Amino acid sequence: MATMTTEVLVIGSGAGGAVTAARLAEAGRQVTVVEEGPWVDPDRHEPFSLDEMVAKYRHRGLQGALGSPAIAYAEGRCVGGSTEINSGLYHRLPDYLAEDWRTAYDIEDFGAEPLARYAAQVEEELGVSRLPTAPPPSSAALERGATKLGWRNVEFARVFRYDEAGRGTKQTMSRTMVPRAVAAGADVIPDCRVLRLDRKAGRVTGARCERTHPDGGRELLHIAADHVVVCAGAIHTPALLQRSGIRRNIGNGLKMHPTVKIAARFTHPVDHGDVPMHRVTEFDPYLTIGGSASRRGHIAMALAEASPDIVEPMESWENISVYYAAIRSHGAGRVRAIPGLRAPLVTYKLTEADMSRLAQGLVHLGEVLLAAGAVELYPSVVGGPVARDLDDLGRWWDRTTRANTNLMTVHLFSTVRMGNDRSRTGADSYGRVWDHDNLYVNDGSLLPGASGVNPQAAIMAIATRNCEHFLATI
Amino acid sequence: MLWFEREVVQALGSSSDQETRSAVEAFVDGSLRAMPEMTRLGVAAETLLFGTYVRWLEAAGRLEGREDLRLLLDRWETSRIGVVRLYVHMFRSLVLFGENELVRAAS
Repeated sequence: MATMTTEVLVIGSGAGGAVTAARLAEAGRQVTVVEEGPWVDPDRHEPFSLDEMVAKYRHRGLQGALGSPAIAYAEGRCVGGSTEINSGLYHRLPDYLAEDWRTAYDIEDFGAEPLARYAAQVEEELGVSRLPTAPPPSSAALERGATKLGWRNVEFARVFRYDEAGRGTKQTMSRTMVPRAVAAGADVIPDCRVLRLDRKAGRVTGARCERTHPDGGRELLHIAADHVVVCAGAIHTPALLQRSGIRRNIGNGLKMHPTVKIAARFTHPVDHGDVPMHRVTEFDPYLTIGGSASRRGHIAMALAEASPDIVEPMESWENISVYYAAIRSHGAGRVRAIPGLRAPLVTYKLTEADMSRLAQGLVHLGEVLLAAGAVELYPSVVGGPVARDLDDLGRWWDRTTRANTNLMTVHLFSTVRMGNDRSRTGADSYGRVWDHDNLYVNDGSLLPGASGVNPQAAIMAIATRNCEHFLATI
Repeated sequence: MLWFEREVVQALGSSSDQETRSAVEAFVDGSLRAMPEMTRLGVAAETLLFGTYVRWLEAAGRLEGREDLRLLLDRWETSRIGVVRLYVHMFRSLVLFGENELVRAAS
């Protein structure tokens, strides 16, 4: 077994891990980052394409939380993590949620004001901006429909920088924080999966890893570390801790944003290369309406949710775009590492209120799309029915059942909640895992609940805050 | 990919181009290999169960050819039993995504 030594081992290189690595390396710490996935040139694949799915998605995007109904979910598995595959939408954690979580979980130095400070730092560094030009047709449709109905809507900022010609580049972690960490002296080891952490007397002494070489050969690698920060995301962070024998309040309370979709056919062509940046916020915080990736393959899949006969609508696929309604779920799930298996078992239980809210979301999404001029709506409900006017939407209420509804999500949280209330959290207010002096979590697992919005901003702000505390105390 | 899974992919495919069909089959095969182990185990178990049932239907003369299988899969996709519905849904999604994205890539 090969061995190496480092001061701080960061496991994972997504929004939490890359920020952690950059902050600590720039503060002069010796940092090593291990990433299970490959290091992929961010310009190599078209966004949301089949090639990108193969290269950057964990399990090629074929994962699901078991339950009634099962909920498909997607995560990145590459240097930069899910920031490489998401839409780049940026939204600060709502102030009321920061205050709620501070009170409910007794989180120190947490709340709207401190988080705003860290969020501002992240925004300055990454470049967070709105479109310099008019929105594309798929996004303008949401704005038009919501405005016609008198509903609040907003163009979300994105983690994008634009050149003089208005061309945007998503500021993923592989373009921003990872290079910063490397420039400050951090080592990044891609294709390196952590099998388990070694522990001794309340401390973690290092990690046992399996490194895959370009020729497919594998070698075991032991990395001894003074401090270990786990940033493998809300599914694989708890799974790794459990594999390492750490189980108290780890992997329980999984939260997510279950999502229903509609493929909407317009009478004119819409764009397909980007994700709409407008969101309907009329029903915040429990229901958000927005747009999804809408390449030809996504449209075909979305149409088939309602009806297997998609030949006729696919003839005008260029007029179709996919939209979603996502809820803040009252339900919860679990992550359980299974001995001998690489992937953990993930379960999620939706409440009746969740199902009702999903039906409500589907109908509201239909309303805004019809108001925007859509002529046919294909819901992600088996057997549809396809809606062409408001009366048709009423039929969706009864169809949106556990047996008929196809759900997915890309936002997962809360499996190692932070806070000083030890009875309900897996880590302290700054992400230190209980009963361990030198083991930390610094990713979406720490969020005590669903953020209601894209969580990247919250994850990066909280990771920055936790690093500041780490540097001040260690 | 197990034999019945290949049958399902062929039945759900819409392309008449053999090259595209082979590419889609390879894409689905790769996706099945990439699945979490437990999910793959579940899918394989369903494949054996459904495949045996389809063989029995064929032996009884109640199912002939790819079009009959396609109609049967359409019925399964509206089943009240979640695992049955999701089995077809997963394969259909993979085939559709593969077919449409491979066509796009080729063009």
